[in-house]
Amino acid sequence: MENNRVEEDDKNAQNDKGNLSGSGSAKEKEPRIIAFVCNWCTYNGADLAGTSRMKYAENVRVIKLPCTGRIDPLFVVEAFKKGAKGVLVSGCHPGDCHYTSGNYHSRRKYTAFRDLLSYFGVDTNRVEFSWISASEGNKWVSVINDFTNKIKSLPDSSDIFSKQ
Amino acid sequence: MEKMNDKLQNTAKELLESKEVNLIIGFAKGSNPLRMRSVFITDPKDAYKISFNAHCVQDLAVFLKKPEVKKFGKIGIVVKGCDEKAVNTLIQEYQLSRDNIKIIGVECRGAIKQNLADRGEDSVKQSTVYDKCLACEVHTPLLYDYLVESDEPAFEITGDVKPYAKIEELDAMSVEDRNMFWQKEFEKCIKCYACRQACPLCYCTRCIVEKNTPQWIETNIEETGNAQWNMIRAYHLSGRCIGCGECERACPVNIPLMLVNEKMARDVFEKFGYKSGLDINAKPVFGTFDANDFNEFIK
Repeated sequence: MENNRVEEDDKNAQNDKGNLSGSGSAKEKEPRIIAFVCNWCTYNGADLAGTSRMKYAENVRVIKLPCTGRIDPLFVVEAFKKGAKGVLVSGCHPGDCHYTSGNYHSRRKYTAFRDLLSYFGVDTNRVEFSWISASEGNKWVSVINDFTNKIKSLPDSSDIFSKQ
Repeated sequence: MEKMNDKLQNTAKELLESKEVNLIIGFAKGSNPLRMRSVFITDPKDAYKISFNAHCVQDLAVFLKKPEVKKFGKIGIVVKGCDEKAVNTLIQEYQLSRDNIKIIGVECRGAIKQNLADRGEDSVKQSTVYDKCLACEVHTPLLYDYLVESDEPAFEITGDVKPYAKIEELDAMSVEDRNMFWQKEFEKCIKCYACRQACPLCYCTRCIVEKNTPQWIETNIEETGNAQWNMIRAYHLSGRCIGCGECERACPVNIPLMLVNEKMARDVFEKFGYKSGLDINAKPVFGTFDANDFNEFIK
C-alpha cells in the first residue's frame, strides 16, 4: 500500500518534470517535500491538523513509518534522488517514544548523517527534523509552512541530488 | 627486524604446536622485497614464512569476517596497532569471540605508502608514511596476547603536521564548492565495491547494494547512484571506522575515502566523545544514546 503511494508520487513527480521541461506548460513547478513521520505522534498530529480543518502547504507528501528509529537515512537520500526538494523527518518528543528509545537512537543517527550530507555538499536547509506530538496539530501546520517557504526561497541548488 | 621476525615466528610456531590456535594469519614476503602479502599458516613447519616490516600495509583483520576463515575456530592473527582496533570493534559488535582469537600484536613504526614503495622507497619517515601513521596513537596495540616489540626507532615528526589536512580545507569551503569536489570524485566511482570488500568492518552477509526488492542503490554507474553508494557506505561506517585506510588503498580510481571516514570519526568524537575500537567493553556509539544528546538541529 505504502509502496503504491510512493510510486504514485514518483509518477506525479515525473509528470511535473515533464511539465517543466516541456514547452507547453507555463505552470510553475511546485517543490515536492517528503515527510517521513512516526505512526504514534507526528502522524496523529498531522491527522489532528486535518480533522481540525487547518490549512497547510500542499507540497508535502506524508510517508508513515512505525517510529523515527525506523527512518533509515537511506530513505532521505532516496527521496532526494527521486526528486524531492526537501525532506522532513518527524517523530515523538524525547521521552515520549512509543518504543521507549527509538527517537533517541534516531537523533544520534541523524546528528551524524546531517554532518555527512553537509560534508558532501548537500544544503542542510533541505532536511528538517522536528518533534511533533499527537496533540500538536498547529505545530505540524507551522513546521510544514515554514519548511515549504524555506525550500521555495532556496536558490536553485546544484548539489548532486538536485540534478534532474 | 631479524629479532622481531624470530619472535613472531616462534610465537606462531608455539601456538600452532600447542594447538591453541588452528590458523595463524600473518604477513609474508611478497613478490618483490618492497611488497608484503598475507599468509595463512596451519602447519607449525611453515611458521618461518611469517615476517614483518614497514611494507605491511594490509589490515589482516579483514579476513576474520570471511566464513572460510571462521571455520578454523581458534585463530591467531598478526596485527599492527591500527588493525587491532578493527579486532576490538569486531569483538565489541559480537562478530568475534575474544576466547577464539589470539592477538599477536606487533609494534609498528609506520607503514610506507605503497605507491612510493613500488617506486623503491624503503625508509620510514614523515614524508613516506600514510597519513594515519602521522596521527597514530597506537604504535603499540591496545589489546594483545603476545607483543612483539619493534627494534626500530620511531620516525621523527618535525613541524606542524596535519594529517588529512584536506578535511579542514573542505570544511572551510562553501556548500557548492564542496559539492563540486565530491561530485568530481564520485564521478570516477565504478561501483566495484572494493572499498567494501577491503573493509574489516563491512561484514554484512548481504550488503544493502545487493538488496533489490526494493533496489535502494543503483547498480549501474550513474551520478546520483554513485553519490548514494558512497554516502551510505560512509554512514554505515561512521562511529565504527577505525581508520586503517584499506578502502582508500583498495580503490582502483583513487577516491579519497579516508577524507570521509576521518571526517565522520572527528564529528562523532566531537558530538558524542566516542572513538571507535579502543575498548571491547564499550557500547557502539549508535547502539546507545543519551537523553542529553545534541538536539539543536531539531525543531
